[in-house]
Amino acid sequence: MSLPEGPSSPPQPDLPALVAAVDGAHSAESLVQATRALAAALAVDLVPPPNGPTALTPEMATAIRTLVGVMGFNNPGAAVAAVDGLMACGPAAVEPLLEGLDNHNYGARAWAVRALAGIGDGRGLDLLEEALQGDIGPSVRRAAARGLGQLRLETLAPEARAPVWDRCLGALERGSKDDEWVVRYAVVVGLESLGHSPHGPRPAPATLLACLERLAQPAQEAIPVVRLRAQLALDRLGPP
Amino acid sequence: MEPETPPPGNAEPISEAEALRRLRQNEDQSLQYYGAWWLGRMRSRHPDTVPLLCQALRQRQPRDAGAGVEHNAVARNAARALGKLADQRAIGDLLEALEDDDDGLREAAARALGDLGAESAVLPLCRRLASGPSVAGAPQTNSPKLQEPCEALIEALGDIGVATPAVLAVIEPFLDHDRPLIRSAATRAMLQLTGAPQWGDRLVTLLSHPQLQVRRAALMDLGAVGWRPALGAISATLAENSLKLIALRGLVEQGQGEPTTEAVLLAMDELL
Repeated sequence: MSLPEGPSSPPQPDLPALVAAVDGAHSAESLVQATRALAAALAVDLVPPPNGPTALTPEMATAIRTLVGVMGFNNPGAAVAAVDGLMACGPAAVEPLLEGLDNHNYGARAWAVRALAGIGDGRGLDLLEEALQGDIGPSVRRAAARGLGQLRLETLAPEARAPVWDRCLGALERGSKDDEWVVRYAVVVGLESLGHSPHGPRPAPATLLACLERLAQPAQEAIPVVRLRAQLALDRLGPP
Repeated sequence: MEPETPPPGNAEPISEAEALRRLRQNEDQSLQYYGAWWLGRMRSRHPDTVPLLCQALRQRQPRDAGAGVEHNAVARNAARALGKLADQRAIGDLLEALEDDDDGLREAAARALGDLGAESAVLPLCRRLASGPSVAGAPQTNSPKLQEPCEALIEALGDIGVATPAVLAVIEPFLDHDRPLIRSAATRAMLQLTGAPQWGDRLVTLLSHPQLQVRRAALMDLGAVGWRPALGAISATLAENSLKLIALRGLVEQGQGEPTTEAVLLAMDELL
């Protein structure tokens, strides 16, 4: 790998070489290492300048698509590194993630939901909604529920914020009836962060609090840890 | 602690009445198997549930390869379901299953007796383990299994919680068993029975064992005991977040003291 150096600028990572290392990885461990190196290099490249968003070079776009591809390789260590890298890329990773979705590769889909949940971009809403409602994997529904609470509404046009917030609440309310305790737990966490959202209604509306109150009641929720988390959310959201 | 998995290829939603019907009929084992699983999973409170499961526990069947299920599959699943239902009426039949020739059935029965906290099981469990790692804990010929299902037997003693010197003396030799999973089970039981921090610390060191399977077992063991000092180490373990969340749920629900419940909950949030 060659790193071009100049006296005035810091060394720039050689993205094509790092992409080639991922494509050519011949063992599980070397794929993990190569993915980490690519993710770290991309994160450096993508730090936005103070006066506006980073323009995506073709090399960066290829690097992002490569990370999306790694999520389909059935290598959890590499997938974690790819998700971390894509989350660090932020909104620039959203289009490649949505375009690269493989409906037949269940594992890859699960990782993509996690990355989109972490990025919090409004374009991921459809997928998160659908995943919480219908995905067969509890870990995917769990990640989707968390993501629905942390969409970054400030990235949307002001008039789009209220309807998106309402859709997130509706999806989480439906998710509060999930069969798996861990998904209901994530719904509680999602509801709390939705209630704290700086661009959502203040104070948190009664429907959101009513859903949390249901999840805090022994008669309605059998699992103690879910009830305790719901009570903590209610305490932190303050009196209605 | 076993992860909960539904039986293969038979996952459509059914009603309680349908689950009872499947368990009651005698023609199709795989339907009985699913019925037993369903009743345990859904914590059925129907008056017929426990008597039907006890009846199924008394069934003995050869392995039916075509149905894709194990030897005595229905009986084993009935034992697991009875463990979840916490009904003391099942103890007599489970004690009998603990004396069966089928070690898989003994394993399921031991776990269920542990779930039920059945003190009457302490003596028979100790009897099975008394010959120690070199006999009860020796590998079977031509099988990776041990002579006795030691992990389940030891864990049951820890769950039941009778901490007499005789029980501790039976468990102690397994702290040095060749297999890390047996060491983990023995350490967990010692922690449950004595509360001594040294055993908690020993489980925490297993969280960095090179084998994933051992790290997973240590996570489940710490969760089952609710050992809160392990919070930071659990969060940092190289294993699936799903398992870490189960372990931390155990710290919240079974544990007490420091770190606080709120600190454990916030650590769970980070893993979602």
